[in-house]
Amino acid sequence: MTYSGEHTWAGQLGHLLTVLSFTGALLAAAGFGLATGRHDERWRGVGRTGFLLHAASVLGIVTVLFTMLFNHWFEYDYVWKHSNLQMPLRYILSCFWEGQEGSFLLWTFWHVCIGLVLIRRAGTWEAPVMTVVSLVQLFLASMLLGVHVGDVRIGSSPFLLVRELPENIGLPWTRLEDYLSRIPQFADGRGLNPLLQNYWMVLHPPTLFLGFAATLVPFAYAVAGLWRREPQAWIAPALPWTFFGVMVLGTGILMGGAWAYEALSFGGFWAWDPVENASLVPWLTLVAAGHLMLVNRNRPTSLFTTLLLTLVTFHLVLYSTFLTRSGVLGDTSVHSFTGDGMMPGLTLFMLFFVWLAVVMLHKDRGQRRFYTLIAVALLTIGVALGQPVPAILLFLAVSAVWTYTAQRLAFPQPEKEEAVWSREFWIFIGALVLLLSAAQITFSTSVPVLNLLLEPFQAPLSSLADTLDSDLLRRAARARMAPPTEAIAHFNKWQLPFAFIVSLLSAFAQYLRYRSTDMRRFRRAIALSFVVSLVLTAVGTVLLKYRAAELNLILVLFATTFSAAANLDLIRTAFKGRLTNAGPSVAHVGFALVLLGALVSTSRQHEVSRNTQGMDLRFLNQEFSNSTDILLYRGDTVRMGEFYVHYAAKRPEGVNLRYVTEYFRPVPATYAVGDTVKVGDMLFRCRAPHEASTAFLEDQPARWTPIEEFPRRALWRAKPWSAARPGEHLFTLEPFVQLNPRFGNVAEPSTKHWPHRDLYTHVRYADLAADEAEDSAGVHYMPPRLYEKEIGDTIVTPTCLILIDSLRTVRDSVTLRMLGPEFLVYALRMRVRDLYDQERWFEASPVIIYRDGAPVAGKGFEVDPLRVKFELATVNGERVGLNVFEREFVVMQAIVFPGINILWTGCILMVVGTFMAVRRRLRNRTGTS
Amino acid sequence: MKRSHLIAIAIIAVAIAALIGSLSDSSTYADLDEALANPGREYHVVGVLDRSQDIVYEPSVNASLTEFTMQDLQGRRCRVKLAKAKPQDFERSERLVLIGEATEGGEFHATDMLMKCPSKYNEQNQVGV
Repeated sequence: MTYSGEHTWAGQLGHLLTVLSFTGALLAAAGFGLATGRHDERWRGVGRTGFLLHAASVLGIVTVLFTMLFNHWFEYDYVWKHSNLQMPLRYILSCFWEGQEGSFLLWTFWHVCIGLVLIRRAGTWEAPVMTVVSLVQLFLASMLLGVHVGDVRIGSSPFLLVRELPENIGLPWTRLEDYLSRIPQFADGRGLNPLLQNYWMVLHPPTLFLGFAATLVPFAYAVAGLWRREPQAWIAPALPWTFFGVMVLGTGILMGGAWAYEALSFGGFWAWDPVENASLVPWLTLVAAGHLMLVNRNRPTSLFTTLLLTLVTFHLVLYSTFLTRSGVLGDTSVHSFTGDGMMPGLTLFMLFFVWLAVVMLHKDRGQRRFYTLIAVALLTIGVALGQPVPAILLFLAVSAVWTYTAQRLAFPQPEKEEAVWSREFWIFIGALVLLLSAAQITFSTSVPVLNLLLEPFQAPLSSLADTLDSDLLRRAARARMAPPTEAIAHFNKWQLPFAFIVSLLSAFAQYLRYRSTDMRRFRRAIALSFVVSLVLTAVGTVLLKYRAAELNLILVLFATTFSAAANLDLIRTAFKGRLTNAGPSVAHVGFALVLLGALVSTSRQHEVSRNTQGMDLRFLNQEFSNSTDILLYRGDTVRMGEFYVHYAAKRPEGVNLRYVTEYFRPVPATYAVGDTVKVGDMLFRCRAPHEASTAFLEDQPARWTPIEEFPRRALWRAKPWSAARPGEHLFTLEPFVQLNPRFGNVAEPSTKHWPHRDLYTHVRYADLAADEAEDSAGVHYMPPRLYEKEIGDTIVTPTCLILIDSLRTVRDSVTLRMLGPEFLVYALRMRVRDLYDQERWFEASPVIIYRDGAPVAGKGFEVDPLRVKFELATVNGERVGLNVFEREFVVMQAIVFPGINILWTGCILMVVGTFMAVRRRLRNRTGTS
Repeated sequence: MKRSHLIAIAIIAVAIAALIGSLSDSSTYADLDEALANPGREYHVVGVLDRSQDIVYEPSVNASLTEFTMQDLQGRRCRVKLAKAKPQDFERSERLVLIGEATEGGEFHATDMLMKCPSKYNEQNQVGV
């Protein structure tokens, strides 16, 4: 049977190319591997041919997938799931890498680019380095194969037709020749998740994946160095790549933060989400590895640690891939992929490269063989017995033991330890602290993995827990641990000390010399920055109102300013202001500012949308807080923090519904003679024109006369005294909701930026209907609630209490006489009060007109002070239907982030500084070689 | 003892502390039975929204309080008070993870909630059926 309208050639070509890319990688790995092992140039040619075949196929795959997306061939699952017709062209890029397969492809693509550069530039290192690259490509290519070997599916192909999906095979519609034109769902794709329709989403993933890809190069060089038994020589060529990785991965991570801050409603730039953490951890170890490489390139003082960190960084990239793509995070992260059976493949991917690293660490062939044998045996037995988890744990334990013995055997300790006051010692300490920081983040992020690992050991663990009577072990034994509830607080608590130490080290380590330092000169050199930063810390502590109990914050404030000051001073003194060589210092200043900005904005972020109205939530539960959201009725102007905010309008714009909020500066209220105000239960009349001070009691004796006697109604009508009123219009913010019936609506923030702080607002809850229900006065209401009651009943709405007094049939109105006898007019009389104000009653009488027993028109009744409107919907004898409309409102969250621009400035400096450092390294290399 | 040994010991100590710290700060997944049996203890409860019961969100009373009924994976139902504004498209949610504690009165008070929206495979299965 031939299907009409399908473009099957594209899928077939795509499949062919994936197989070719796999074959090419295999050929390349074999060729380069043999070239290294046998020192044979001809094999290197084979390797190159294989890699070029692989590279061409990957480019082909990318082209085919793009062609499918551009042409909207919705018969393909990937195209249908990730794109649609309305989407602007630039988001086709985002569609490409939105899915699991596309993002693997992106990663593969960067490896291909890097591989091609390495073939040209790596010289004698080409064969061993490219062997490792090709092995990685082999695994990545297999992730796209989508072939079945027995029951096991290897990888998942982006070239599957919708009718070929396992869940669709055999369904009746797949037998229709013209299913594409017959079934309306195929006319358009599902489209891109609205969260991802953002320019950051065009930039962030490719940058992040280029960063991930860059970590492969130092790994490959380290393995190559061990393989060729030159455990130090690999460092020099790997160095520029390492810092290139630091720069690009760092940029990618920070772009993720900027994306979250600008476009997502997470309420901040960093939420310690598992997926964010998974990208941060390899960056930390890469930075550590890079610094150790700098130290060890000339004098091997901590070579083993350097190698270990370099190798582990790539393992962590693989682990990060495993976390986000295997589905193991499941319920714990908002933006992880669902697994789709990727877990075994990803696990194997990870374990293979752990094996490769450990095997290479051993010089001795016998040790290598023995370890390999144990590894293969363990995993085979584990899989055969259906107990993979203990097998993997055993394998990891064996790998740890072999790593340790490798350190003993192959890396003899230097006789003399390095001096305490030497640069290499403190950089070494810094690297270890970064490793610990990475380890802590990994532990807490891996709670779901931990459950998986603990599961097979539940029985022994729980008996151990009983004998030791340990609550912690008992919880571990249940293997149902959840991530920390207060994730942000948890991570901040643990990471703050690490940030302190690392900042401090980055401040002074560069003032030390290699081998040993003259301490008098050191103290003299660093004194200025130390004093300056002490002063700045004191000023900052006062400005930010840090209390003595927040000593930890003050310490980090000091460490980060010290680091920024010391590195700035280094540019002045050591580099004499010449910036060409000052890259590292610029990057350090940037890093210090990132930490400083994060510290200031996080510790002093302030939710100004404090909930001041209505019921106190703490009444329900002490854990509940009132401090997040503010309710704004349309047209109202209320005080929010240091502003007056006015919800002015709702404006549709494309798929977005914008909520226009205006901000005003509060100015002192002015009162004229005769003005009446309410303070508590008393009324006061103004005696002399004046500008209000901050407290009524200050003004009262001279300017206000208490009114002795007044009717109750006067109390209700009078406005309460207020010190301020909205003055000059400052700015407008338009937080919006992107309406997307398919994926669900998404609220996106709107932020006002100042140099020293930001005001970040987003809509939490709002009426999503475009303006329609506008009455004559231009007032907007929420959709009504209908209450059906009898005369004499009481209605309790969320805000009001209503007494239905009587129903009157109108006989004498002018309207009725004009209408004619077939009409009936009813008027309802009712009394209303605020639910929480028992004193103040209002009268309301909505009217309805019936013609021949059916309602035809009516006149609502608005009670403005209560922000409600009533409409009589039906009358049926004594029974009436009453529609209660509440004035339209939005619920909004507003947060002030002070000093956030310090963070962004730091980001830019860090990237620029690292770029300068990489460029200088590359120049020096080409200059000397 | 050499300095490197001291450093190694310090590193191992901090690493173990961090591991225990992660474990002790971690919460627990539980079903409603367990959560209700231990009022005041914090749990993560996985379940679905019971659409047959009212979702009450009255911003004019309190903008940060949503009430609804959830059904856990064992089928047990419980009334929930969530100290958050009602999320967009809450009615369409497929899976909820509530973070909070049960009260003596048999309610669940959630301080936070994670929500997964419908996966699209289901829609696709209905293509042409």
